[in-house]
Amino acid sequence: MLSYFISYLVMASTYSVAALALNLQWGFTGLMNFGIGTFYFVGAYASALLTTTASPDYVGGFGMPFIVGLVGAMAISGILAYVLAYPALKLRGGFFAISMLAISETIRLIVKNERWLTNGVWGIRGIPQPTRALLGANLAEWVYLGLAVAILIIVYRLTEIGVRSPWGRVLNAVREDEKMAEMSGKNSWHIRMQSFVFGSMIMGVAGALYAHYIGFISPSSFTPLMATFIVWLMILLGGTGSNKGVIVGAFVVWGVWIGSEFLIDFLPSGVTSKAGFVRMLLMGILLDVILLIRPQGLFGREKVISKLGGKSEM
Amino acid sequence: MADLFVNGIILGSIITLGAIGVTLIADILNFFNFAHGDMLSFGAYMAFFFVGVFPSWGNFPFLSFGPSMILAIILAMIITAAFALFFDKILFKPLRHRGASELFLALSSLGVAFIFRSIIRLVWGPQAKYFGGLQMARRYPLGITIKPDEFFIVGTALFLVIVVYLFLTRTKIGKAMRAASDNETLARITGIDTERVVNWTWIIAVSLTAAAGVLYGIQVQLRPIMGWNILIPIFVAVVVAGVGDLWGAMVGAMIIGVSQELLTGLLQDMFNSLNVDVLMTAYKPAIAFVLMIIVLLFRPQGIFGTGE
Repeated sequence: MLSYFISYLVMASTYSVAALALNLQWGFTGLMNFGIGTFYFVGAYASALLTTTASPDYVGGFGMPFIVGLVGAMAISGILAYVLAYPALKLRGGFFAISMLAISETIRLIVKNERWLTNGVWGIRGIPQPTRALLGANLAEWVYLGLAVAILIIVYRLTEIGVRSPWGRVLNAVREDEKMAEMSGKNSWHIRMQSFVFGSMIMGVAGALYAHYIGFISPSSFTPLMATFIVWLMILLGGTGSNKGVIVGAFVVWGVWIGSEFLIDFLPSGVTSKAGFVRMLLMGILLDVILLIRPQGLFGREKVISKLGGKSEM
Repeated sequence: MADLFVNGIILGSIITLGAIGVTLIADILNFFNFAHGDMLSFGAYMAFFFVGVFPSWGNFPFLSFGPSMILAIILAMIITAAFALFFDKILFKPLRHRGASELFLALSSLGVAFIFRSIIRLVWGPQAKYFGGLQMARRYPLGITIKPDEFFIVGTALFLVIVVYLFLTRTKIGKAMRAASDNETLARITGIDTERVVNWTWIIAVSLTAAAGVLYGIQVQLRPIMGWNILIPIFVAVVVAGVGDLWGAMVGAMIIGVSQELLTGLLQDMFNSLNVDVLMTAYKPAIAFVLMIIVLLFRPQGIFGTGE
């Protein structure tokens, strides 16, 4: 039971990191990223290849320590985002969303088919969990929980500082009225690119966190449902534009997801095989209900995000 | 080569039916319908259900199915469109009246996509389904091989496109739809009932995509993910052509269909001769995407778009 709870906390923290990243891109900059899976894949595989022991089946592994994997995941996600920014950020709104979706499906095809790089559908096994060899599985779980929470806090602090800084106000300006921001001398493309690249690097970290926790990744690790859709649900439930809110959203949605697993035990045996689809259905309905009933989410956007601008309000 | 071209036309005619719907919704309702692909799958499965229910009335000559399929297609179109109208009533309409942004509507359609897909998986399971037996392809000059069913696919797509064309140009509501797509405010001022226009947009768009799903299912197989996979080529066809351009969407769909088939073939030959070990067929969907990026970089308004 306790290990179940630790697992919940680790995964919820990992999703919170991704949710903060999406909140930066969508909540503050208005970039509709429908391809979070892209950066999960890149981050998870980058870190996995860097840290696993050498294998004859694919490039690497290089047997590097965890921290190198994490930094590598960030770096490669960031570079990919920077390259993608050139064509993709020329597109607006729905067009950008479509291109992100298309990129994530393309990345999935590459992961699936380029066996020399990713071991294809067989995936990568034995991704090391820090301190597991040293302290044993039980204690290492606790250490990993500490690590995940620490990373979550760091990412939270960084995004809070970011969005409350002048840079954050420019993000808002670009989202609300791009022409106005440009007229005030802000290079809106540059601003959106920065937000996109930072957000994508954080998503890469989330992918790496997942990979080192589960220990195994494959092309089916990150489906559109589990990679992109559920994170959208988290930030919409928590409150787009509120960093605190999206963390709460992540913990609640992941709790509902895990909790619904318990319910499956009570279902008649014929239905259990289909329970995963019932959960998927519920997630879809939940998203639309939130959009209908409470579009601002549980917390909602803070109208004033700088201390200098007066009291903050809901 | 000619064979790949023909394959591209067949794929293109399926994409066309989806793309007309996406471009109509994007133009008149002002958002990209991310549920369009899963509505396509739903149409296919509805037809699968009806074909199973109906008695066997024998097969058409040369084809792998009979009159029951025609009836199944029509019923699948009607029921899928009814579902779309239902979702418009409970979801899109309230959002529209609240003045929700284009992106909000797109997001809510993503939720609808997951609802459709999980219903399909709940009812029919995740395994692939087949309408009928496997059909042997016939050989034609120039190395072209076509299954007789594929003539039916292209013929039906062409028939439906003509029907839609006549609907949009000859009927009052069709003309109102075109007016609303040109200038919504002006249309409303001149007394056009915009809610009726919206309903007919859903009916046309979604019944076409349901038919596309059935045709896609006839050509290959039915899988819950089929619509999601063809959604990207459909979107690309629309984006490449420029939103709101019906003929452009058709041409775009053909360009996507043909280039997916031809380019995978050509690139495979090239890689083979270079001794590079790449399986190009696996990257078919990626080709549509690369094409879209290239077009948008040089013509952001689409090939036929005027950039108004």
